[in-house]
Amino acid sequence: MTEPYLQVKNLNVSYAAIPALANVSIDLAKGERLAVIGESGSGKSTLAMAIAGLLPKQARSSGTIDFPGLSHSPKPGKDIGVLFQDPSGSLDPVMKIGDQIAEVAMTHQGISWIAARVRAAQLLDRVRIPKPLSRLNSYPHEFSGGQKQRIAMAAALAGNPSLLIADEPTSALDTVVQRHIVDLLDELVREAGLTLLFVTHDIALASERADTIAVLYQGRLVETGPTVRVLGEPEHPYTRALINTHISLDTPRAKRLAEINVADL
Amino acid sequence: MPPIVSFFLRRLLGALPVLVVVLVGSFLLLEAASGDAVDSYVARSGAMDAEQMAQLRQDWGLDKGPLYRFRAYATALAEGDLGWSTSFERPVASVIFERLPITLLLMGVATALAFSLGSFLGILAGASPGSFRDRFLSIASLAIYAVPGFWLGLVLIVIFAVDLRWLPVGGIETIASGKSGLARLGDIAAHLILPVASLAMVYLVLYLRLMRDRMSEIWRDPFVSALEARGISRSRIVWRHVARNAVLPVVTMLGLQAAAMLGGSVVVESVFAIPGFGRLAAEAVARRDTPLLLGVILCSAVTVIIANLLVDLAYGKLDPRVRAGR
Amino acid sequence: MNVWRRLNLEARIGAVMLSILVLMALLAPLIAPGDPLAITGEPMVRPFASEAHVLGTDRLGRDVLAGLLHGTRTTLLVAFFSAAAALIVGSIVGTLSGYLGGFADTVLMRITEAFQTVPGFLLALAAISVTGPSVPTLIFAISLGNWTQAARVTRAEVLSLRERDFVAAARTLGMRPLEIAFREILPNAFGPTVSLAAISVAAAILIEAALSFLGFGDPNRVTWGSMIAEGRTVLRAAPYLSIVPGIALVITVLSVHLIGRGLSRRERLVP
Repeated sequence: MTEPYLQVKNLNVSYAAIPALANVSIDLAKGERLAVIGESGSGKSTLAMAIAGLLPKQARSSGTIDFPGLSHSPKPGKDIGVLFQDPSGSLDPVMKIGDQIAEVAMTHQGISWIAARVRAAQLLDRVRIPKPLSRLNSYPHEFSGGQKQRIAMAAALAGNPSLLIADEPTSALDTVVQRHIVDLLDELVREAGLTLLFVTHDIALASERADTIAVLYQGRLVETGPTVRVLGEPEHPYTRALINTHISLDTPRAKRLAEINVADL
Repeated sequence: MPPIVSFFLRRLLGALPVLVVVLVGSFLLLEAASGDAVDSYVARSGAMDAEQMAQLRQDWGLDKGPLYRFRAYATALAEGDLGWSTSFERPVASVIFERLPITLLLMGVATALAFSLGSFLGILAGASPGSFRDRFLSIASLAIYAVPGFWLGLVLIVIFAVDLRWLPVGGIETIASGKSGLARLGDIAAHLILPVASLAMVYLVLYLRLMRDRMSEIWRDPFVSALEARGISRSRIVWRHVARNAVLPVVTMLGLQAAAMLGGSVVVESVFAIPGFGRLAAEAVARRDTPLLLGVILCSAVTVIIANLLVDLAYGKLDPRVRAGR
Repeated sequence: MNVWRRLNLEARIGAVMLSILVLMALLAPLIAPGDPLAITGEPMVRPFASEAHVLGTDRLGRDVLAGLLHGTRTTLLVAFFSAAAALIVGSIVGTLSGYLGGFADTVLMRITEAFQTVPGFLLALAAISVTGPSVPTLIFAISLGNWTQAARVTRAEVLSLRERDFVAAARTLGMRPLEIAFREILPNAFGPTVSLAAISVAAAILIEAALSFLGFGDPNRVTWGSMIAEGRTVLRAAPYLSIVPGIALVITVLSVHLIGRGLSRRERLVP
């Protein structure tokens, strides 16, 4: 077996004595696309932020997160790009978007400001912002939510990272836009051969786009494996329950959740 | 017409009702005074018989009703005539325009100093809220905020002019120094140091606190963690992003503080014997020169309105969201 | 002592300082009996040089400590009442403006704007020139330039309260608009306005000091501002005459700010 790109071992994270992640271990191969699924509060975002090295100061953690695929410890922006849920919150409201992308390129690639601006225009083009050269000087409020998420994507990729972490990147957008963003994300990841970890509560999305799925429940990793296997023959009752709730979204929530019996877990 | 000019004109037109309220209000207030300009003129210039006084009242329109006088005043005002100063025996407008530049210079330098140094120190404090540096600056600024400008001026005079003899005690320049050009500029600058410091100190710490408080709020904005995730250096996040966002409300304060600073210049100019607009206000009150006082009030209102306009223009340049909305 | 426990350290220090000042004001006639403007000793005695005059005497031989103590009375009296007047007038104007809306709102806000456009200190000067200096006219003159912020804050609060359920309920109960405005809305809008109290008191103290420094204060009373002005004439020979009352001013304003910060922080915690 080849050496994994990312290795998480016995990771525990807690906020003020309230555990958010308990004993999570997971491997990620280079170029693999992993979907982390679970309901809100399951710890899936915490896992993503822990790997990105962005846990808040008050969080306490133990365990190891190693990057055997890298010769050095990962630098945010340079090795890991992060895409957040809220596109408006990802951009500085009073700085030109071109400058926000360029500053990432300049920081991590040691290129001049002019070269960084050129790179910013190329990235805007790659994320399908029309007329990228003239839009460099636009401000975030001049774009729609979907466009802002594309710009955030450009900024996340500006440092040429090898791992992209996306924390529910589409849940703040409407359905049609979601589809475009997901397609674009998929395409960029394939083109650049990126390793992708994306957090979602959308099982359909995970089944379409992920090679591997990890299911989190109450801070614990209850099941992990290839997408087809996890979704086709779920071993854990919680996974089964999740799949069922997805299939019958019309049934009342109380009834859907009734199938998740804590005693079974 | 360039958009900036039309914006300026539109705003001035919008300020007109406010100016009318100021005019009517201050006219009414000063009408309520017991004794008129003739009484105070006589009190100052010595004996005058009843007939002369009646003649003077007629000349100054004081024998007519207040409504008549208001109409006369407003008509003259529309032509740029602010009336006759009874104590200077000159047109009010010429007295005011002689005094105004000095005060504008004083206020301009004080504002520039307070804003630049205040926000710089505010950034140092707000760069890491809760740190020792932040707590030190916060406590120091709170203490300085309680210091009245005119008293600070006296303390500075005692230290720098009386004891150390580094700087002049007062005035705007050395009288009959025969200096010209750069030497004269340097002389004026030396005279300005202490008054500017006394006037600016309160605003300096005010801007420091504002900047610091706003920055500590902005640190919690999600875009800051997005920047951290992109590996942007800490100093760049502090100076180019957090401080840049935090400076906007501080700029708004500049306009709001224009009126307060103009009021402050009254006392500071008196302390440093600077023949400016502020001291003119005190003189108008002391000499019961009602037309002059009315002119001073109107001119300070116009000054404040223009200062606010300039601040709004600057704000529009600084905040792209406002620029688009205009 | 429930209030005490809820104050933070800063506010506690401020409260202690202000209590001492109030005590000084109350006990002034006991500690320093007689007229503080009376000449009681040699002129220009240095501080701590004489037991009879702990803080020394001024140019004319008046006791500095007596002046300081009696000055506390003037300062606190004028500051408290003018801040109270400013807050009351401001919140009434703000309530009317916010609740009535429409034309009344436009007119009231123009007037508020006009008052904000003229420097408050200049307004106070003009008012004093009309009324002549005395404690009540000083209170009036200072509050003239001090009420606008309260009006704005109250108006904003009223605008947000106007559509709440309890107002609608009062309306269905058949209460008249002004009754609703002043019995239902104003009491609820008062919270944020009270947090302005400290700023208003501090501003009033400083304006009163500046006015009396310029010689527009009540001539029959000792004030810190007039003491500073008095000392200024002998600034070279006896700087302490101006410096000592100034320190008293700084301490008073600081104590008010400390309390205000403590209060406003609690205001923020309690929704």
